[in-house]
Amino acid sequence: MAAELLTILLGFQPDAPELQQRREYDKAAREFVLHISNISNNHYLKGAGAAEDVLNVLDPTANSIAYAVTLRVRIASAIDRKNHEQLRPGNSLWNKLVLFLESFDPVQMRYAGSEWRKLIEYIEQIARAMGTPALAIAPIRSAMIRLDPTTGTFTSVHLRFIQLCMETRSYAAAVPILDDYIHSLPSAIPPAARDNLEYSVACADTATSGEFIHTKSGHSEKVALVDVIEYYVLGAMAYLGVRQFKHAHELLEHVLIIPAAGVANGLMLEAYKKWVLVSCLVNKSYNSIPRTANGQAVKQIRAAAKAYEALADAFSQLNNLPKLRAQVAAGTDIWIEDGNAGLVDELVEHQHRSYVSRLSRTFSAIPVSNIASNVGSSVDELTTFLEALIRDGFLNARLERNDKPEVGAVLRFYLDPTQGPLAKTEKQQQQALFEQTERTNTLAGQVKDADYRLSISKEYVEYVKRQAKKASGQGGNAADPMDAPWDDAEIEEDIMGDLR
Amino acid sequence: MASDAADSPFFQKQRQEDAIVVTDPPKFDLEPYISNYEGYTRLDRLHHIGSHSTYLAADAYRAAIAEARQGQNVQLLLTLQEEFAQIAPGDPAANIDTAWAEEKTRKVRAELDKLEHELKSYKNNLIKESIRMGNEDLGHFFCACGDWSAAHKAYMRMREHCTSNKHLADMTLRLVYTTIAQKMWLGVQSHLAKVDGAQRKGDEKTKREPIVSACTGLAHLGNGDFRDAAMAFIYTSPAFLTVEPAAGITWQKEVLTGNDIAVYGGLCALASMDRTELQVQVLGNNDFRNFLELEPHIRRAINLFCNSKYSACLEVLEGYRNDYLLDVYLSNHVASIYGRIRTKSIVQYFIPFSCVTLDEMATKFQLTGEFATIEDELETMINNGTLDARIDLVDRLLISPPTNPRYTVHADALSMAERYDHTLRLRLTRLNMLAAGFEIKQDKGGFRESTSSLSESIGASFRGMGQRMGFN
Repeated sequence: MAAELLTILLGFQPDAPELQQRREYDKAAREFVLHISNISNNHYLKGAGAAEDVLNVLDPTANSIAYAVTLRVRIASAIDRKNHEQLRPGNSLWNKLVLFLESFDPVQMRYAGSEWRKLIEYIEQIARAMGTPALAIAPIRSAMIRLDPTTGTFTSVHLRFIQLCMETRSYAAAVPILDDYIHSLPSAIPPAARDNLEYSVACADTATSGEFIHTKSGHSEKVALVDVIEYYVLGAMAYLGVRQFKHAHELLEHVLIIPAAGVANGLMLEAYKKWVLVSCLVNKSYNSIPRTANGQAVKQIRAAAKAYEALADAFSQLNNLPKLRAQVAAGTDIWIEDGNAGLVDELVEHQHRSYVSRLSRTFSAIPVSNIASNVGSSVDELTTFLEALIRDGFLNARLERNDKPEVGAVLRFYLDPTQGPLAKTEKQQQQALFEQTERTNTLAGQVKDADYRLSISKEYVEYVKRQAKKASGQGGNAADPMDAPWDDAEIEEDIMGDLR
Repeated sequence: MASDAADSPFFQKQRQEDAIVVTDPPKFDLEPYISNYEGYTRLDRLHHIGSHSTYLAADAYRAAIAEARQGQNVQLLLTLQEEFAQIAPGDPAANIDTAWAEEKTRKVRAELDKLEHELKSYKNNLIKESIRMGNEDLGHFFCACGDWSAAHKAYMRMREHCTSNKHLADMTLRLVYTTIAQKMWLGVQSHLAKVDGAQRKGDEKTKREPIVSACTGLAHLGNGDFRDAAMAFIYTSPAFLTVEPAAGITWQKEVLTGNDIAVYGGLCALASMDRTELQVQVLGNNDFRNFLELEPHIRRAINLFCNSKYSACLEVLEGYRNDYLLDVYLSNHVASIYGRIRTKSIVQYFIPFSCVTLDEMATKFQLTGEFATIEDELETMINNGTLDARIDLVDRLLISPPTNPRYTVHADALSMAERYDHTLRLRLTRLNMLAAGFEIKQDKGGFRESTSSLSESIGASFRGMGQRMGFN
């Protein structure tokens, strides 16, 4: 029986010559998935641990589908039978699972979405149950990247991953995934557009993740709006954890532009509070909410986040350093309750930095003692502070000793942007411009994909149908009003079409 | 005498309220100055001078009280006497003449009754012209009493009974006059626009235009729009000086004189125009030259500014600061006009240099008391963006920053690209969400529920885990 099973499992060979055509491959892969999922679990469980074990024979890279199914059944039974020893990190099943997640064939896994998702869920559950949730992060991440190198199609795995990272405080581990822009959400692609088309089969080399990860592919549980927002908010917090404020700022803006029917929700409020603070850190002000945000919703959250706006106002008054401190002290309870106390502290620190960096717009050289008397700290403290700022790249300036003893140390700013420690050569600038061009082109491709997905959605097809009908209807009516073949019911539908 | 007045309770109160108090003697003499004016503005100006200059207070108040006694404005007279009593308690003019006031009030009351009665009878007769005149008389009467809003109402009521364009234009000019007296500058502007719109060609037009243009300038000045004010003043025709009374008002005496136009126009132009504009539009302007001749020092100041002698120009203006502080319309704007001229001078002065020592700046531009040192002033100017320069506090230099357009263009392009990129991403996210049918809806739970959803979902995944795995 075990041998029989093995023959079936080896029945699908992606490198076989007759599967070189993509359509053939697509058909065979889907049939194979259907076939092996009908085999009862008992067959897979036979011969576990033996030398001729299916899992030892199968190659996770070449026979990914078969391997995934077998592995899934094995783990499920191990959990059912409370056979935990095998699952413990470092032991056989765990190792196999990790190996698989790091080396599966991405094209095959496009067809076995639910297996892929379940294996990821298992590894997370096991790691949590063993009390070492951090161990699951790396395998999950590599599984995500292997399946979809852009990781730009949102799945429930994204959310689980970021939750795990936040719980274990492994912010840096989350960054590679967060850096990728979420360019698609799993959408409902009608089967007619999905199957049997030469260039849009899931295994096609050109397929983007938005095409093979859809609502029916099983890679993701049903995704709700709250999941997406939660991902963005947690993602922003992870960026804050690694002090990448600009990225956090951008991620938070994604939350603010969420379509809303005149109302906001709590996550949006959370996002707004953080956004106000982070905007101060990034832009020194907070007043340009993205234009596409829903005005009514923004009004609501602003009303609920007055304390933060007051803080931001105090921050922008660089000449009035004590005011911010007073504001911070007045709202301590609020910051702590909202979990933003750390960010608020950062704001206070940043105000000093902004104050100094604003001096560069007014002065070309200023004795440190002058700044010290304005800020109200000692010259030595300030000198160390300034040295740190220059070292960390906040200031394009240098500290120099002056001949005149009464002046002391002097902070001298570089007026020409091509000089000093922060200077960029023309080559670097050019390089940056090229990189940006690259990013923009990628984005243009993603926009095109989104456009395509919209154009095959049911609603759009119906809309086009109606438009066509209307156009021909108008033309027909003008030519021959008696020949209009439509009855009243369909004219009603036309009226609806106008409302759209 | 002057020092007595300065310490009087009245000026102490003025100082407490942050009102302008001028202690030094101005350059003009009260007697010839005030004789240029007639009617309401004469009183108003005397009152203004009296309440702001400690030096001229007694003279101004005495003149004003004598003037007010002739008129019908009892309330103003009482105010004047009360204020004067705080400055010079012993002065006979300060004694409040209650009997006289009562008598006058009664007379005024009788006059009002009479006029109203007349108006009523006109109304019963339904003769338009009579009703118009009745209202006009009432308006004149309220003007004389100083009840400007009532006067305004009375003149407004004339509108529907005006039968000719001249009547309409006269009425509107009257309205302009009352709004100026109330210093409601926006109202002045709207009424002036009506005069302008109603104007006919020919004789009427030439007669009214200078008045309209001068009043427009005054309204802009009142609103603090110095540039618009300058444009209106410098294009006022010199015919203003000789124009016949319109609507029963001698504008060049009862509102503002040619000297005022020269001063207001010159200062506003200095505050708002650059050197070439000043040269072409002000000095080269034949109309305005006639006015400038009346106030040669303004002409000199503009000339000096055009010839880049900024410090001399400021010196001239500084000499007249007290005079202008005592001008009823200019007083509130002097500080801001002078400030602008000064900053403009500094900016213009610095343009040809790449580097100037701070001491040189300090000698060229004497401090006005607003700032402690020249550094502070320059710092403020740089911070609010009027001066593009950097201060070197160590070598005490003002440095013009080097520019690198190529670098700037590159940096700008990059930041713009990033911004667009981000905006596009936001739009695409939104589009995807809309395509997926995601939207925050009203009835699906309030604030409270969704705020806790985050922590709940994490908590739930913790709790569920152990049970499912059977480890507990």
